[in-house]
Amino acid sequence: MNDKAVQIFAETYDRERAVLPGADGWLARRRDAALKSFVEAGLPHRRLEEWKYTDLKQALEKAAFVPAPAHEGAVVLPDMAAASAFAAIDRHVVVFVNGRHRSDLSKAVRLPKGVELHSLTDVLHEQWVKELVERRFDDARQSENVVDLNTALMRDGAALRIRKGVCLDKPLHLLFLAADGGASHTRNLILLEEGAEATIFESHIGVATTFADIVTDIALGDEARLSHVKLQHEGAGAVHLATLRARLAAKSRLSSFALTLGCGVSRTQNFILFAGEGAEAHVNGAYALKAEQHADQFCVIDHAVPGCTSHSLFKGVLDGASVGVFQGKVIVRPHAQKTDGRQMTHALLLSRDAAMNAKPELEIYADDVQCAHGSTIGELSRDAIFFLRSRGIPEVEARQLLVSAFLDEALDLVPHETACEALRLLVAGWFADGEGRA
Amino acid sequence: MDMLEIKNLHVSVDGKEILKGIDLDIRAGEVHAIMGPNGSGKSTLSYVLSGREGYEVTEGSIRFRGRDLAELNVDERAAAGIFLAFQYPIEIPGVTTMTFLKTALNAQRKARGEAELDAVRFLKLVREKAKPLNVPDEMLKRALNVGFSGGEKKRAEILQMALLEPALAVLDETDSGLDIDALKTVAAGVNALRNPERAMLVITHYQRLLDYIVPDAVHVLSGGRIVKTGGKELAHELEKTGYAAYDADAA
Amino acid sequence: MAAVRETVKTVGEVEKYKYGFTTDIESDKAPLGLTEETVRFISAKKSEPGWLLEWRLAAFRRWLTMEEPKWAKVSYPPIDFQDAYYYAAPKQSVKLNSLDEVDPKLLETYKKLGIPLTEQKMLAGVAVDAVFDSVSVVTTFKEKLREVGVIFCPMSEAVRDHPELVQKYLGSVVPTSDNFYATLNSAVFSEGSFVYIPEGVRCPMELSTYFRINEKQTGQFERTLIIAEKGSYVSYLEGCTAPQRDENQLHAAVVELVTLDDAEIKYSTVQNWYPGDEDGKGGIYNFVTKRGDCRGANSKISWTQVETGSAITWKYPSCILRGDNSRGEFYSIAISNGRQQVDSGTKMIHLGRNTSSRIVSKGISAGRSSNTYRGLVSVHRKAENVRNFTQCDSLLIGDRCSAHTVPYIETKNPSAVLEHEATTSKISDDQMFYCRQRGIGEEEAVALIVNGFCRDVLQQLPMEFAVEAQKLVGISLEGSVG
Repeated sequence: MNDKAVQIFAETYDRERAVLPGADGWLARRRDAALKSFVEAGLPHRRLEEWKYTDLKQALEKAAFVPAPAHEGAVVLPDMAAASAFAAIDRHVVVFVNGRHRSDLSKAVRLPKGVELHSLTDVLHEQWVKELVERRFDDARQSENVVDLNTALMRDGAALRIRKGVCLDKPLHLLFLAADGGASHTRNLILLEEGAEATIFESHIGVATTFADIVTDIALGDEARLSHVKLQHEGAGAVHLATLRARLAAKSRLSSFALTLGCGVSRTQNFILFAGEGAEAHVNGAYALKAEQHADQFCVIDHAVPGCTSHSLFKGVLDGASVGVFQGKVIVRPHAQKTDGRQMTHALLLSRDAAMNAKPELEIYADDVQCAHGSTIGELSRDAIFFLRSRGIPEVEARQLLVSAFLDEALDLVPHETACEALRLLVAGWFADGEGRA
Repeated sequence: MDMLEIKNLHVSVDGKEILKGIDLDIRAGEVHAIMGPNGSGKSTLSYVLSGREGYEVTEGSIRFRGRDLAELNVDERAAAGIFLAFQYPIEIPGVTTMTFLKTALNAQRKARGEAELDAVRFLKLVREKAKPLNVPDEMLKRALNVGFSGGEKKRAEILQMALLEPALAVLDETDSGLDIDALKTVAAGVNALRNPERAMLVITHYQRLLDYIVPDAVHVLSGGRIVKTGGKELAHELEKTGYAAYDADAA
Repeated sequence: MAAVRETVKTVGEVEKYKYGFTTDIESDKAPLGLTEETVRFISAKKSEPGWLLEWRLAAFRRWLTMEEPKWAKVSYPPIDFQDAYYYAAPKQSVKLNSLDEVDPKLLETYKKLGIPLTEQKMLAGVAVDAVFDSVSVVTTFKEKLREVGVIFCPMSEAVRDHPELVQKYLGSVVPTSDNFYATLNSAVFSEGSFVYIPEGVRCPMELSTYFRINEKQTGQFERTLIIAEKGSYVSYLEGCTAPQRDENQLHAAVVELVTLDDAEIKYSTVQNWYPGDEDGKGGIYNFVTKRGDCRGANSKISWTQVETGSAITWKYPSCILRGDNSRGEFYSIAISNGRQQVDSGTKMIHLGRNTSSRIVSKGISAGRSSNTYRGLVSVHRKAENVRNFTQCDSLLIGDRCSAHTVPYIETKNPSAVLEHEATTSKISDDQMFYCRQRGIGEEEAVALIVNGFCRDVLQQLPMEFAVEAQKLVGISLEGSVG
């Protein structure tokens, strides 16, 4: 309780407890318990094995975030390509400003029958919401513990439930805008019942000094399919903590991709649990960092049942004095035979001061499995640059070409064709905006 | 006495009956061909002869040189003289072909109560057998079947057969994946091993292989039964008519 | 706890046994437990100089403040370090009078290994002439080595005869404060080997601890120090192919290697300590700190290990690549069966420019064992053009064992090229069927396939060791199939 940041969160909770949504029901007790656990555990720091390379405590104490204020009226989109990355795609849009749902800015109309889309605050009495909020995976406790902070302070978020066999007609875009500085705690809940299908874009945009604490809880029923594309481009002083937990029933399929471009410090956590046989998870990502940015990709995949497939590929380029982190773990439980688990991480260091840390783990308790992981870290091939230059391509362009080619392998895995192109453009823009001059 | 006597053989895999009463006798010196459409049970027959796990004999018997094969496990059958040339030879990473050959030969010799071959005599023997099959030393130094072309794999199979000198050789779709030149080399290798002491069972889908390894008898396997038996001309007949006529019986 | 009880019991028996022959045993055995007095006693017993006693005491005081590491993926009951003896004179060990008194299982293993009878006796700890033969063999070697200036002797002898070398290098690679077990070792180490290869000398023969095994009963805390001067070369073999009798004891050794400019040390280990029985009773707790310091430019240290024994293995032979252009290698086969637990790997610390490292780890788990590769590749900011290649393959035999891979890859220099690959697989039914169809029996087929899996590492071993190691692979996996 000595930590300043922990203290601020605890005080915020005391102050807002009565007005946070769900103050009259089960959630109030859950919030109390979560805050207590959070305060006991404190913020994670580098002495914890799972936080070996990222000091969230230090990042949050430095900025001393207070809650972001409610933002009324018009919002000016920041002048950055990421803000309008998905604009050309026909989609439903739900907008959150400073962590609060803004129906006046949203546009999600004529949803197919069987698609229930609400603000979190409207569905807190529902059983499925309770189940998702209370769920814990316990595969990486030091990482999952930070969800307690979110549970205690979550204010809003999207709750999407799609009934059996229903297909969401077009992508649902959850747009989180940080108009002002401060902390926001967002909880998204997604339930796809048997055979349901959806594509979700999630973007986090801003230039302010914010702390975005987002937890996205997903449950996929048998044969359900979810594509999830997340884009994060927040301010240089921002801290981003995103946790995605997904439980996959038999023959369901999750394809997720996260592009990380912004933030001073970001930690993107994925917890995937296979609960039914024959399910597939494709958990991929890319990041491009510069200056003092620090981005940590953390990914735990639990093959608790036989016959599931998980493939992960994370690629990143590091410029300036940025630091990249990848920590991954594939767990194959006893009897989870016929598991196919692959985890790859590759990083390119573009500058003298950049650093990369990778820890790809395998934990295998079954014998009839195919599991592999690979990691490479290196710089741009000097031979390749020389070759391109010898063909008349200037060095800056040659470097850009090679970096794009490097990231393309990951970007190819974005589970939506147009979104894939949109993210490619962003990455090209990132490069034009800085690396070439380094 | 027949070398191989199969009587009313019924075999199930995962509780599903694949072979439904096979009778087949093969004498030493004879080459028999089993032909049939996909899924007729050809490979099952080769596996049950070699004793692969998961192939359950539910009825009938197989006698090999007077012994009931049910008493013998896979490696014991091999030592007793049954050799299976695999349709898809298995890769054994890190184990050189040479090491594998030596381990197999000496294991069989030991099982038969013969002395193991020393390195020098073994090397001489392998080179002698490898030469006519176009298997160079370089290939013997590579890990068994790892990165081998289709032709190399099949030549390696025949080399093993030449070295182990089985009494009964079962060739499972040895022609699959081979171009005509490779097929000729392999067939020549097989023919060189034909002798009055040895029997062969050649399993194939196509008649092509039988132009080069000419059988004494041809059996048509369909729906888990031998539906027709004839001489080598039966293969040519099948080439013209196809298996359609027999498929109907199987249904 | 069981392990220590067992040790205590053994020491107790030693005492009982000796009682009929000599009257002054008390003075040859340190008092129970570990205190400053124990450390002083050991040092005094060895007539050590004051600086070494102080060195030990500093380590001991440090050790008192340390905690046992808990991060490894192994579990065992807490060890009561005060409930053990830390010194018993080696000559007092129980000596058996003939092979008939040796555990027949052990003899069976020797037979399979093809170790000649006299050596079997020697390895089994039987007091026969063979032991003395072996001592004379050592002496012969010593003469030959002395001609080229190589020093190869027990650590206590080195402390006496070459104090300046020992004082200069001891603890310079693994400092007394390094880790719980290394610090404990620094306080109480009893014996070990000392090797010094003078400038420009290529050691004319492989050095080996093979014949020292007879003295091993007290060797729970050995300390080995190898120094390769500029341009020198040595290949050192640590042969623990003799399983000890069913003692359950803590083995916390420290090995330090130093290579100066252009020098090379090749260190090979075949470890086959008693792994405990099928139910996990007994066996050695092998908590070993091995580290090499490529102190000079263009120097090279290569670790090769075949780990098949011990109830618990906790071991990370590492390289500090300090000199420019230096190279570190780690080749490992770790086989676990029964209830064995292995947590082993390496650390490659790249400090110098153009340093390179290569890691090839082959883990085989069978039975109900747990087998973890844990490794670190770290590139310092100033280390330009570092290269690392890591290959970690796990093979699982049966569905009750486990295999884990925990690599840490850290770089602060963009010119580094670091590649890591890991796979997990099993022996396929197809492979087994294929081998057996060629007449190869089940256990031999497993041994053949596993040896193939390990080939890249076996090739690194000196020839005579490789043959032995191959056989050991087969023996270690007996009973793992069927």
